[in-house]
Amino acid sequence: MTDPVSGDLLLALKDVDKSFPGVRALTGVSIEVRRGEVHALVGENGAGKSTLMAVASGALAPDTGSVTIQGQPLSAADPRLAQSLGLAIVRQTPALLPQLTVLENMELTRGRRWIGNVGKARAWAQEWLAPWGLEIDPRTRVDDLTVEQRQIVEVARALSTQPKVLVLDEPTEHLNFEESELLFTQVRRLVDQGGAVVYISHRIPEVKSIADRITVLRDGKVRGTFPSAEVNEHQIISLVIGRELDAVFPEKGTASIGGGGIEVTDFRGSGFGPVDFQARPGEVVGIAGVQGNGQDAFIRALCGLGAASGSLRIDDRSVRTGSTTASTSAGLMFIPADRHVEGVFLPLSVSDNIALGELATVSQAGVVRRAKVRDTAQKAVDRFSIKTPTLGTTVSSLSGGNQQKILMARSAGGTPSVLVAEEPTQGVDAGARVEIYNIIRQTANDGAAVVVMSSDNLELAGLCDRVVIVSRGRIVQELNGDGISEQAITTAALSSTSMRERLNEGRKAIRLPRWLRGDYAASIVLAVLVVLLGAYVALQNSFYLTPLNLTGLLALLAPLAMIAVAQQTAMLGGGFDLSVGPLSGFLLVIASFYIVDDVGSIWWLVGFLLVIGAGLGVGAINGGLVQGLKVNPVIATLALFMLLRGLSLTMRDRPQGSIAEEVTDVIAAKVGPIPVSIIVVVAIIIILEIVLRRSRAGLSLRAIGSNADAAARIGVRVGRVRFFSYVATSALVIPVGILLMAQVGIGDPSSGVTYTLASITAVVLGGARVMGGRGSYVGAFFGALLIVQVTNVTTFLQLGQSWQYWLMGILLLGSTVLFATVRKSGA
Amino acid sequence: MDEGFGKPRGFNVWSLFYGSTASIVIATIVLFIISPLLAPGSLSWAALNGMLPFASVLALVAIGQTLVIQQRGFDLSVPGMISLAAVLVTWIPEGDDSRLWLGALAAVLIPALFGLLSGFVVARFEATSLIVTLAMNALLYGFVLWLTQGTPVGATDVLKTFTLERTFGLPNTMIIALVIIIVVAFITKRTTVGWRLTAIGVSPRASTVLGLRVKRYEMLAYAAAGACYGAAGALLAGYVQTPNIFIGDPYLLPSIAAVVLGGTALSGGVASIVASAIAALFLTQLNQIVLAAGWPNSTQYIVQSLVIIIVVVIRETVYRLLSRRARRKIAGGGSAQPGPEREAMADAS
Repeated sequence: MTDPVSGDLLLALKDVDKSFPGVRALTGVSIEVRRGEVHALVGENGAGKSTLMAVASGALAPDTGSVTIQGQPLSAADPRLAQSLGLAIVRQTPALLPQLTVLENMELTRGRRWIGNVGKARAWAQEWLAPWGLEIDPRTRVDDLTVEQRQIVEVARALSTQPKVLVLDEPTEHLNFEESELLFTQVRRLVDQGGAVVYISHRIPEVKSIADRITVLRDGKVRGTFPSAEVNEHQIISLVIGRELDAVFPEKGTASIGGGGIEVTDFRGSGFGPVDFQARPGEVVGIAGVQGNGQDAFIRALCGLGAASGSLRIDDRSVRTGSTTASTSAGLMFIPADRHVEGVFLPLSVSDNIALGELATVSQAGVVRRAKVRDTAQKAVDRFSIKTPTLGTTVSSLSGGNQQKILMARSAGGTPSVLVAEEPTQGVDAGARVEIYNIIRQTANDGAAVVVMSSDNLELAGLCDRVVIVSRGRIVQELNGDGISEQAITTAALSSTSMRERLNEGRKAIRLPRWLRGDYAASIVLAVLVVLLGAYVALQNSFYLTPLNLTGLLALLAPLAMIAVAQQTAMLGGGFDLSVGPLSGFLLVIASFYIVDDVGSIWWLVGFLLVIGAGLGVGAINGGLVQGLKVNPVIATLALFMLLRGLSLTMRDRPQGSIAEEVTDVIAAKVGPIPVSIIVVVAIIIILEIVLRRSRAGLSLRAIGSNADAAARIGVRVGRVRFFSYVATSALVIPVGILLMAQVGIGDPSSGVTYTLASITAVVLGGARVMGGRGSYVGAFFGALLIVQVTNVTTFLQLGQSWQYWLMGILLLGSTVLFATVRKSGA
Repeated sequence: MDEGFGKPRGFNVWSLFYGSTASIVIATIVLFIISPLLAPGSLSWAALNGMLPFASVLALVAIGQTLVIQQRGFDLSVPGMISLAAVLVTWIPEGDDSRLWLGALAAVLIPALFGLLSGFVVARFEATSLIVTLAMNALLYGFVLWLTQGTPVGATDVLKTFTLERTFGLPNTMIIALVIIIVVAFITKRTTVGWRLTAIGVSPRASTVLGLRVKRYEMLAYAAAGACYGAAGALLAGYVQTPNIFIGDPYLLPSIAAVVLGGTALSGGVASIVASAIAALFLTQLNQIVLAAGWPNSTQYIVQSLVIIIVVVIRETVYRLLSRRARRKIAGGGSAQPGPEREAMADAS
């Protein structure tokens, strides 16, 4: 190993400052990472470690300061630039796209235009996955992987870019002992080959064993960098803590501890357990532990959020687990950490927020009494000294501390039996902190059992009568009375090295065979349905199998399949396009002015150019509205739906303008009994399917539909991809307009309108995920085929039109429910 | 530091574009005032009498759509619901006035049941409402065709005269619509049920933490919406006398347009029943002007779509300007942030 001090500088951060609204995350941070070293970054939760590495990897722009990778400056906050300079990052929460396969996720990071030979690509991916000894098939969808498998894929993906600097952010949270050892081997190999590793962790023993140098971060500032061999665990811990807290804590509990409160035995759920735990009336019990050890899942399960097994008793009565309705009616109130998402109702007023927690007291016979709402809210505002201009002020305009006090007022105001608070002072200013501590203590003194989970150990030490430490989902230690101190809690949490019991994480889901979980499962089922329906009808009516009927069927299929393909494009990217139907009619209407008899054929060319231009133009408008102006896609494309319909009707108030026969003859040409149009459409679909599976463009489209944030973090240009997905959608409607020239033959302003609903039906039948990220053009084709078949068959069986509608409705509803059930359980 | 602090809901120039009821009320008043300028005769009694029943029907549809959009959904089953109600109120009595009550009852209850079914699938399976209601629409049209066998039935005499007549100078359809609007508005604004619906619409997760029965209320919203469409369909059947099978089709897009113009957020939660109803009046009068001005019928589509795009774009732009201003203020040390913070704060851990 090279001497770390004399090695080259691979990553340098200089004087980096970064602020978020209300928080100063980093202040003047400078770090140098040299060739051949493992450089550890330690610090408490919120010390700024992850923010620093987000800056280093180009995910966040620093307010001031610079980042240099291998001597090259990182000139813009761009993850792809950082990667091309030789930096790879493994995030605490993997930026993987769940609807894509492992191979596709790895390919997207590799950044090539085409995947090329799939066999070779798979071998390449396997090569990077092989050292882990886990049998991960690169063709597996990330959605189907376990948490630790995802972590490993994230590491393998980072290594596959062959970085010079590898940043690992809490990589062992979800790994067991063997996997952690494998990771350390990989880290050593990279360093020995002349790279460098930045290793972020809470676990001091782990850090000591692997790092060459250790940098301690506290409150967004560097507290020193030390050669690992020269400091012991104790010294590191004393640097990590020692934060000054300008808060005065209320006096601890004096109430005698009896029965009641909350009690769980053999309590387990996803990420924690088995746990035995109780909190009695009058006491405040703290839950401590390093972030990501299942303590949050545990206390949420106490409150009925998330499934859990075992016994849960509140005030000596057994309470059903997994139901907030059951736990709240038993007298438990929960104050969640994610205040904005799970706590307050942001767009509602202060008084509304408070009253919603006490609807029973502010209403009479189901009618809300405004005077009582005002009274209750005013009392709460006074009692908990909530600083708000008026009671009608929306909660979103209050500070974090006051929002938190509103939650406290809502929960503690009604004298609960149990109060559970998750990170009660996160993002709260010092003044409000003291008040929140007082409210918590007062609630306990009034007879509630209080459970507080916090990542701030100083806070727990000052506030709690008892503190339990959770590590890897279990309670590993309990501190009482004088044994409680910040030092004791931090030491217990940081030096805990227990390994998580590999829970068989409740995968009771129906595991379908791979081919049924794949993208083409729906297509196979649809094809079988189409054949069965056809066979049944052929037995009933011999006309069904005649070339005349089949030719007609295929001719109808061509435009419908094409429009389904267009809709699929929008939906893959996580959008919708309701305007596809009227657009196809609009294009036909345009054509009916130019591509007619008695005009020079130069006008036909103009007509086709206008048709193409109009298609692309509408796509640009849709894309501009959705991406540029942030209009909801349903609203934007609905407006275009109406606009195009109006324009068609204005240009042609009745069917007029026959398309020139010479043109329609070409469009309607046949090879034997098979229309050329369907051959062309099938060819287009095959090409598109290859583009979708093999090209960077196709992967990017699915990536933004799968998870736009994660896609952005690995360098997909989300805005551009989304805009062009709408342009592509409309562009794919152009062939439909052309097919309608032959099929309708005349400028009929109402043609094509019904295609919108049919296109969505076809895509959903084809197995696409409505939220985006997953689907196939082949599926959309078979969806369209089934629609055409059902329409055709109902006519032959003389079932009447109502059956046409019923069958479509049942198919759509049935497939939605089926896919929703299968995919939810598979995830 | 506190310009944005104090009264975010108060009246200022921005709030005109900001989705409060005030903006649509002012827009509607202005529209009526300038109507004669755009199209002479569009404010005549005859014109108003022709317009108000259709505005009433659209208003009922729009408040149903509002209830669904409040729960973060879209209801595409509007056409099927209206058509089925129109069929039930005519097909059940078959011209016999003594059975009209049964038809009217079925016209409201059966769409409500189908709405409940949509709501069940959406809530239970976490399916996309857009798709579920699209499927429901097909099922409903199946029943419409099955019942009528393609041939519409005429409304009974009582229904016809009732919907055409006026009481105290107001069309009966409008009176019925007003009563329903007031009742629904009262329930959503003033009762515990309405408060819970609002809370769940704003944030299903925060409502779960509070212990509310989220799924049940979601189903209730879809069922109530179905009842509104049903009432609209029954009134429409009487007014047009012999409703054709696809009578509900033209109401889908305007119903969503009315909700958007009324300022109900598509992100759910804070909804105004009254504003949606007024927006329905606005849209109907807009059509009236277009027709009275002698423009072809098709122009109304163009006008409606342009109005929607312009309103949504202005609202979105104003919103972004406001939140940018707020963010600057935060960076400067203030604590005010008008409007829900959309961009999640980056994880500072």
